[in-house]
Amino acid sequence: MKRRSAIRHLAVIAGGIALLPSCIGSGESASIQLSQITISPEQEKLLAEIAGTLIPETGTPGAKELGVHLFVLKMLDDCYEKGDQEQFLQGLDRLEKIARERYGKGFIGCSTAEREQLLTAMENNEGLPEEIATFYRIMKHRTVQGYLNSEYVMTRERVYEMAPGRYNGYYPVKENIAS
Amino acid sequence: MANLNIDSIKDRTFDAIVIGSGISGGWAAKELTEKGLKTLVLERGRDVRHIKDYPTANMYPFEFEHRGELPLSVRKENPIVNRCYAFDETTQHFFVKDHEHPYIQEKEFDWIRGYQVGGRSLLWARQTQRWSNYDFEGPARDGFAVDWPIRYEDIAPWYSHVERFAGIAGNRDGLAELPDGEFLPAFPLNAVEEYFGKQLREKFKGRHMISARCAHLSNPQPIHLEQGRAQCLSRTLCSRGCPLGGYYSSNSSTLPWAEKTGNMTLRPFSVVHSILYDENKGRATGVRVIDSNTKEDIEFYAKIIFVNAGSLNSNLILLNSTSSRFPNGLGNDNGLLGKYIAFHNYSASISAEYEGFKELTTDGRRPTGGYVPRFRNVFRQETHFLRGYAAGFSAYRSMETDQSGFGTVLKDKLLNPRLGPWRVGSHMMGETIPKESNHVRLDSEQKDPWGIPLLRISVSYDENDRKLKKDYHEQFQEMFHAAGFTNIRPHDQPRAPGLDIHEMGGVRMGKDPKTSLLNKWNQLHTCKNVFVTDGACMTSTATQNPSLTYMALTARAANYAVEEFGKKNL
Repeated sequence: MKRRSAIRHLAVIAGGIALLPSCIGSGESASIQLSQITISPEQEKLLAEIAGTLIPETGTPGAKELGVHLFVLKMLDDCYEKGDQEQFLQGLDRLEKIARERYGKGFIGCSTAEREQLLTAMENNEGLPEEIATFYRIMKHRTVQGYLNSEYVMTRERVYEMAPGRYNGYYPVKENIAS
Repeated sequence: MANLNIDSIKDRTFDAIVIGSGISGGWAAKELTEKGLKTLVLERGRDVRHIKDYPTANMYPFEFEHRGELPLSVRKENPIVNRCYAFDETTQHFFVKDHEHPYIQEKEFDWIRGYQVGGRSLLWARQTQRWSNYDFEGPARDGFAVDWPIRYEDIAPWYSHVERFAGIAGNRDGLAELPDGEFLPAFPLNAVEEYFGKQLREKFKGRHMISARCAHLSNPQPIHLEQGRAQCLSRTLCSRGCPLGGYYSSNSSTLPWAEKTGNMTLRPFSVVHSILYDENKGRATGVRVIDSNTKEDIEFYAKIIFVNAGSLNSNLILLNSTSSRFPNGLGNDNGLLGKYIAFHNYSASISAEYEGFKELTTDGRRPTGGYVPRFRNVFRQETHFLRGYAAGFSAYRSMETDQSGFGTVLKDKLLNPRLGPWRVGSHMMGETIPKESNHVRLDSEQKDPWGIPLLRISVSYDENDRKLKKDYHEQFQEMFHAAGFTNIRPHDQPRAPGLDIHEMGGVRMGKDPKTSLLNKWNQLHTCKNVFVTDGACMTSTATQNPSLTYMALTARAANYAVEEFGKKNL
């Protein structure tokens, strides 16, 4: 029972995507089953780090700890046109090349400050190639979505109520949320 | 092969047959079985048992692989149903996929269907406004279609009958154009909605904003508990099927009730090919069914047949029920079967913001919103177009997040959203005028997988629809300005007929057999033991969401059928 609940917990942490044991340890493909795109374990690791830089661990889990990068891959695989999928993967490789050109090491080896410089460039869309812009657009959109819709956030941070059973149309605004 | 049960004519004979188990078929089943008639309910799709067959009903957003979004391949394979607002990862199992039942669009028409026990009653928007005499008298007053053979007084007790059982939440608003009913407590309006209602009362005589009446158990009564239903908890996940039975569906309400009588036989996977007509007896004797699993052809017999296949499929079945007496379709002596199809015009909306009530927001959720009953041409003709529109109206205040940046700054913004401004939105629900040219007919060659001719659909908007839309935008901009709303944005929302999912007509009711198909009891004029009580029977559309009227017409017709059956007239 304990093992089963641990596995379930792991699956939940991975953003609701069950990890497939068949892929673990093969060393050649991603840890989730994908049908359209192929991702190497290195690319997966890289995506986890980028997700973690977008939404870092800060005493509460960030996107990497919640496995949100696997959700990004799932969505990329199932919900995008081939052209977007190709640009995403090309953009990811290109980003890694730029990191090596600028800092002499891959994104994973970069310091926090260096990573943030790279993300700032992507966030501001500063003269980077088109594929990087596509990569960042999809990566950021899906990372934010996967994070906000993760079990962790929906049960502990911004709590989703399945059955509120009430509606108050004159609810006083609490000061800390006023715009 | 031989199945003695199936093969014996006696075992295939019932007092009544109901074709379809959706919102009106469920009511026919309930009324007929309750009055003691052995009733066969035929459903072309699979069985869906209340609660047990709602696989996504209790799933959290994070339990959906794609968080509710449909994979691109599903969207590409289903361009038609994908345009339906309710079709997503959480509900897709209740919708017919485009390839599953083809049809021919002579003009663009989005036919949204749910082939399963309960039909689209699982998926409907649950809005239940009564018609008034200003609606029933419309065609006669304004000179279109034909006069309805009934008036509000004829249907009012049946509205009450179905409202008490289904459970309708609403206020007694005292409006002549939108009669009150048997209501459970209404769901509340919010500060901005009530403010807008007050603005209308003060500045626009005859215009109202009310809590939209809906088929939700805001305070269940013994009759609802007896059905096994419980209070609506405002989950607003209705289209997945409600495990509480908080809203009315055939699955949660009428079908289990009919089942309890012991008089119902429910047969899923039964595609009705046609209605059998006996020339000597001068009446229908049963139906021919194709078992969608075995492709076997089976006949069932009964004295009473209720056609509740869903408007266009009811047309299809009658058109396909040919005999030497009725070579053009059952009851179709005048050639009008399949004609005068109409729908609702939902092709415009408008949004705005309101800067007041900054100290207030909303808490919780509710399954309905506000409703502006038709105010154009209600008591007299007063514009350059015919009829008018009702409108949905809602105000809300959302938590909004600035998603720029990354890192701890972004994370902090995501976890600490700020309240946005009050936003308001409205959408039009326009009456369309039934016309002979808006029609369906059978294709002479192409057939569906069950060997039934494909339906050709030829329905379009007209000039009156465009005038209505323009007026809606003008009037709502004026009302929004008068209420002090800002950032007012009218939206043109071009959409094909059909996507309103309020397709009606083709087998219209009327007084004269020369110009209509059904009489005031929903009987075919020329084949009295066949009753059509779904949307196909509608002579005109009014502006109200039509399901409540289908339910009331069905209950009324079924009780009449039982009386006639008792008198041996059927």
